[in-house]
Amino acid sequence: MTMSAPKPGIRRRGLLAGAGLALLLSAAPSFAQDLSGELVILQWQGGTDAELWQKLEADFIAKHPGVSIRELNITAQGDARGGIRTALLGGETVDLIINTWPAFRKEMADAGILRPIDQQWTDNGWDKVLDQSWKDLGSTDGVTYGIQYTYGDRSGIWYKTSQLEKAGVAVPKTWEEFTAAIATLKAAGYATPIPMPGKYWAHGEWFETLLLRTGGVEAAAKLAAHEIPWTDEVVKTTLKKYAELLKAGCCGTPEQMFAGDWDWSADQIFKADAGNFLLIGMWMNARALNDYKLKEGVDYNIFQFPALGLGHDDTSSVDAKELLATANGANPAAADAFMGYMVSADATKILASYGYASPSKNADPALLGPAQQTATAAVAASKVQFVLGDLLPGDLVDEYRVQLQKFLQDPSDANIDAVTAAIEAKAADAY
Amino acid sequence: MQETVADSAKGATANEVSPRGSERRKLLAAPRASGGWRLGDWPAAWLLIAPVIVLFGIAVVFPLIDTIRLSFFDIKGLAKPKYIGIGNYLKLFADPAFRNTLTTTLIFTLATTAISVTLGWLLAMLCAFAPRRTLVFRVMIFAAFGISEAVAGYMWIGIFRPDAGGLLNTVIGLFSPGFSHPWLGDPNTALWALIVAASWGGVGLPLMLCFASVQAIPRTVLEAAYLDGARPGQIMASIMMPLSLPGVRVAIFINLLGALRAFDIIYIITGGGPVRATETVGYFMYRESMTQFKLGYGAAATVVLLAAVLVISVPAIIQRTAGAR
Repeated sequence: MTMSAPKPGIRRRGLLAGAGLALLLSAAPSFAQDLSGELVILQWQGGTDAELWQKLEADFIAKHPGVSIRELNITAQGDARGGIRTALLGGETVDLIINTWPAFRKEMADAGILRPIDQQWTDNGWDKVLDQSWKDLGSTDGVTYGIQYTYGDRSGIWYKTSQLEKAGVAVPKTWEEFTAAIATLKAAGYATPIPMPGKYWAHGEWFETLLLRTGGVEAAAKLAAHEIPWTDEVVKTTLKKYAELLKAGCCGTPEQMFAGDWDWSADQIFKADAGNFLLIGMWMNARALNDYKLKEGVDYNIFQFPALGLGHDDTSSVDAKELLATANGANPAAADAFMGYMVSADATKILASYGYASPSKNADPALLGPAQQTATAAVAASKVQFVLGDLLPGDLVDEYRVQLQKFLQDPSDANIDAVTAAIEAKAADAY
Repeated sequence: MQETVADSAKGATANEVSPRGSERRKLLAAPRASGGWRLGDWPAAWLLIAPVIVLFGIAVVFPLIDTIRLSFFDIKGLAKPKYIGIGNYLKLFADPAFRNTLTTTLIFTLATTAISVTLGWLLAMLCAFAPRRTLVFRVMIFAAFGISEAVAGYMWIGIFRPDAGGLLNTVIGLFSPGFSHPWLGDPNTALWALIVAASWGGVGLPLMLCFASVQAIPRTVLEAAYLDGARPGQIMASIMMPLSLPGVRVAIFINLLGALRAFDIIYIITGGGPVRATETVGYFMYRESMTQFKLGYGAAATVVLLAAVLVISVPAIIQRTAGAR
């Protein structure tokens, strides 16, 4: 797997901080061994993820009885960054922050909140358990801040096996097969084979993988960094491919698309039997297992986005979660130990038990379910690019999603020009 | 003339009981026989009101001044604030998304207020004819006012669900089988669905205020009208409605302010969508401040909203308190 991430020059502040930390560690060689005190983790996840973290923390404490862990819980609906910013600006001191937004990591690094971990990476031999691409993904301006502990495929399409079997549809491998499958499913009585979740953000998933398959990771990375404009031909071609789906009657009316989020779409497929395909992240696995009580690989499964034939079919969109150490944390030794623990065999085992893949070489892929294994193998064989929406500046991402809604309303070439021009106008001001 | 005499008489009596002016101040400031001191009127008044002023300063004035201060800075996320003068305001009024919120806010505010106050007023008139027998009904209507907007929001999502399982689609489906409309997904109906939901919660207060106004009408006036042969409709139109106008004015004022600042119900039901069709100034302010964390820009939107609230509330407060001494 190769990861595309921008790598500008190392900043002086990062270098100084790294050098200072290295000096501190060399002056106190017993620092890492004497683990004690309280470790504070900024936690913003709820439900099953929160439960997973309780297990991970309990396992860490069992290994380091001198350490106690306190979670600073941020309550957030949707994007948790607002709550995290409020906590940090409000003077809360934490040792570790769970993060999933590369753009947010840069924001925190620029504000001097994060502690570089390049030295720890070397000292703890993390390069033996994580590939360079994962280290690059956790880096900002050439300085490593994050250790990635889980990742997910965002180019996988979920489906209910019985629906495809009944309709006589094989898992589509090419774009042509996919559009043909939509026609067959419509003929079989499914009015909306793709119940498009257009209420908030999930309609962007289709654009993002189509962009990768149209222009490759390079084009997607350049677009994320605004090194190419949104009016570029690669964006327009992507939207024209998206329009092919809409014109094939995949997704119902725009009003139907805007009425629900991804969970609504999942219900339409897996509960109401009214739709067939959902392009969404690996958290769908937990919903299918826990909420719908379906059997992974039997009742439902996943297939990788069909090949477009434009020369970039070896690409996939991924998301990842990382741990970031703070510069003002009271217990850096415990923080470093916890970061190391998260890529250990024990932690990856707990992650796998909750259906989460780990990028660590300590992870045993056999512990994952069939759908997760399919997705993991697909990602391993791909050139991957981080989810575009999480790389865009906050100001731009909102406009990008609204303009994509306007595109769903009218996927004509003329409107594609208008939509891309509107996003570009916002992008010009956002960087 | 009679009034003047009466007032003079009242004044004389009051002076006898409680001396005024310099005499009184001297008396109050003079050492008491027991050796203690009595506070004058003004110091006593300030002392009593001081806790309220301090609390008001901390909870209202300081945040207000700080918000106005913030509106002159460019703040993006955790980055250091940069002073830009009125830059945020210029950007705000050039922002098509914000201009769109002004129109949406105007429609939402006026429609919600008109629907809820008109309904509340009419229901109050009807209830006034049989106050005891409509008690349970009034309590039920008013209960909606007390329900959390978040809870009400989820309830209305169930009503407007896009499939045949939604209550509204089910009811319409009884007359038109197979009917299904995504009320909240259609930009043309989403705002009106939201207005209906917000108006539902807003009917209770006008009902109670108008009902109280009607109850305050002297019984003799109504009895005289009956004796003169007036029918219930005439009594309602010619006596109850005009005399309950003070209650209606208060209801309009409160509902206008509530609708102008609406956020919870929009956040829960539509999240400002689809395609920003239901984004009001209050929601825009939240999105910019808390989702985008552009605190300066969000603060500028807050100040604009505050100005709109003041435009409505100051004349109303002046009018309501004009007779007070």
